[in-house]
Amino acid sequence: MLKFLKQVSDYTKEAVQAAKYIGQGLSVTFDHMHRRPVTVQYPYEKLIPSERFRGRIHFEFDKCISCEVCVRVCPINLPVVDWEFNKETKKKKLNHYSIDFGVCIFCGNCVEYCPTNCLSMTEEYELATYDRHELNYDNVALGRLPYSVIHSDPMVQPIREFAYLPKGVLSGHDLPAGSRRAGKLPEDILAEMEASEAKK
Amino acid sequence: MSPGIDLQASFIELLEGFGLTHGVAKAIWIPLPMLIIVGAVTVLALVSTWLERKVSAAAQQRIGPEYMGPFGLLVPVADVVKLLFKENISPVNTDPLLFAVAPLLVFIPIFLSFLIVPFGQNLVITDLNIGVFLWISLSSIAPIGLLMAGYSSNNKYSLLGGLRAAAQSISYEIPLALSVLAVVMMSNSLSTIEIVQQQADYGILSWNVWRQPIGFIIFWIAALAECERMPFDLPEAEEELVAGYQTEYSAVKFMLFYAGSYANLVLSALLVAVLYLGGWEFPIPVSLIAGWLGISESTPWLQVLTGSLGIVMTLFKAYLLLFVAILLRWTVPRVRIDQLLDLGWKFLLPVSLVNLLLTAGLKLAFPVAFGG
Amino acid sequence: MPESTFGLRRYSENKIVNLADGVQLVSFLVLAAMMIGAAIGVVLLSNIVYSAFLLALVFISMSGMYILLNAGFVAAAQILIYVGAVNVLILFGIMLVNKRQDFVPLKNAWISQVATAGVCLGLFALLSTMVLATPWAISSLTPIGDEAIIEIGKHFFSDYLLPFELASILLLMALIGAIVLARRDYLPDEILGRDRPSEQPSALTLPERPRELISGGK
Repeated sequence: MLKFLKQVSDYTKEAVQAAKYIGQGLSVTFDHMHRRPVTVQYPYEKLIPSERFRGRIHFEFDKCISCEVCVRVCPINLPVVDWEFNKETKKKKLNHYSIDFGVCIFCGNCVEYCPTNCLSMTEEYELATYDRHELNYDNVALGRLPYSVIHSDPMVQPIREFAYLPKGVLSGHDLPAGSRRAGKLPEDILAEMEASEAKK
Repeated sequence: MSPGIDLQASFIELLEGFGLTHGVAKAIWIPLPMLIIVGAVTVLALVSTWLERKVSAAAQQRIGPEYMGPFGLLVPVADVVKLLFKENISPVNTDPLLFAVAPLLVFIPIFLSFLIVPFGQNLVITDLNIGVFLWISLSSIAPIGLLMAGYSSNNKYSLLGGLRAAAQSISYEIPLALSVLAVVMMSNSLSTIEIVQQQADYGILSWNVWRQPIGFIIFWIAALAECERMPFDLPEAEEELVAGYQTEYSAVKFMLFYAGSYANLVLSALLVAVLYLGGWEFPIPVSLIAGWLGISESTPWLQVLTGSLGIVMTLFKAYLLLFVAILLRWTVPRVRIDQLLDLGWKFLLPVSLVNLLLTAGLKLAFPVAFGG
Repeated sequence: MPESTFGLRRYSENKIVNLADGVQLVSFLVLAAMMIGAAIGVVLLSNIVYSAFLLALVFISMSGMYILLNAGFVAAAQILIYVGAVNVLILFGIMLVNKRQDFVPLKNAWISQVATAGVCLGLFALLSTMVLATPWAISSLTPIGDEAIIEIGKHFFSDYLLPFELASILLLMALIGAIVLARRDYLPDEILGRDRPSEQPSALTLPERPRELISGGK
């Protein structure tokens, strides 16, 4: 009998506890209701990509020396370097260069290893097309100026990312003009470093 | 208790004033409330889909629909238009007849149940003597429709979903009925009007929720399970069963299921409001306020005010409950089928039986407070 | 102008007077046709699922008949119990064991068919003689209508107390039986034979794993 009573009381306790937990969960959900939405209304508002964003790769035809380092460091040997050997100048002459962004994983190895810095990352990320073959960029397409969220379209409201907001601000909407991000800017850090170097 | 405004009598008098006979006037009156309620219920269900979207968005720190009409209010309209114009697909090897009848079998009983939902003293289609019992018996037809949908779709997910839905609604019907029975025992009537009137005397203090707290919770849980809402949405569990019995449905037939499920949710919320939260009553009785202000209860404008306040209060309570249901959806994870049946048979059923016994005992002990 | 209004009024009055009776007659005919058609379908259709769904239709039209007889409570109870419980249970049973296989024609099947036909015809004859022999005097009592619930309750606790309680005991037995069946955890025969050869299987209990008597939910 006592054992049975104990079971009943345990059962009741568990039921009450379950109800308590559900109540706690509900209060958490309810608390979320009056937080500001984090939504970025995409085609009208766009996030500014961060400094080290790895977007579409930019290629400068004239700088390239056709060394094929990019091909070798690429995990899948993606860049196509079409060159021929010019016997008179004894140099490689680049004819065509292309990267297929439908296959590229934007690891940035090619940019890292390019000896002449003819490859660079841009902040362009809107690569959607109707045909995947359109993603196979040739040297002309690779050499185009990248789309910029800030400058390209007056209809687009650029929004700062979380890490670039002033201290204590959680939303990139309606920032006062000239508000700086929290912490030091890279150029400040650089200037400080140079100053301390000079002191030594 | 004032009888309030009698819409039927005044409408018939108005028509008779235009030179029609009493019979004709009555014949014109008969379909009117039904049409109004069908329209109103559709609107209420659509509003609840909008609310579901908006509240869900808020709970997840999103904005939700915004560009279609003010605050995205036209999204449900767009839904309906889209579903109306979609191609009516029925997959290969389905049973065409059963496939078409199933959504109707789910949809019609739900809309029929609105017959007994009162929005005010006289704002109910029929004050049936069997009241809530009609709702319980009508809601028991739905499993047949679900089984039919599951069977005729020729799809194992659908069949599993249909079987789950049927098992679920059968198991939760019993605690639901038992908690309704406790309320009925206190008000000595099955009629929804009388159940509300019995809670009317002392405003918010006399609402059934204070006398039936256990019954209220059981009823709400069971109603959520009957509506296949989130903690109990096993029949259409997306991760396991695609969409359960609705998997193969599209266009108008899908719309019937969809509208049916939301209308069912609204219906359950309305019935919780009627059974436990004093229906159309204002937290402070209107007659009391009128007494303080020295206004006669039979003043026409006061009656109109009371009537519209009744509708507003009923809807407000119902939508408050709906809001809780949506919050629950984003709070509680889905239960497993064995947990579901455990909860139904091993927890809700015994507790609701104890609740019934307790109510009967209290009714005998304190007939004043528990409806002698 | 007055004449036309008069005509309209007379016409509509006739219509209104006949409206209730007409609706009643038409709905009776529709319900009867539905019921008989569905019942025939239940018997004749070879697809058992169709039969089960048509059975629901039979029950629903029966409850319609009850409504025509001013017995709202009985109609609702009919739907709740027969459509919502019994028929769903039947459907459940069918769908959980729905094995599509062709029937193998039996030898001498005609014997059973003839026997069935004989029994049915006999039953039909008996029932029709009973129907024809009964005077069917229309009762002068007014139907109770809305007061029916109270009357039914009174009957349950006075002159129908014994059947009522018996039915409840029957249900309780079924409930306990279902629990016993569901809780039983059979031991496979092989393990039984190997591990515990000494244990004698008694006639009334099935071998099962020892369990705690009360385990209040997890």
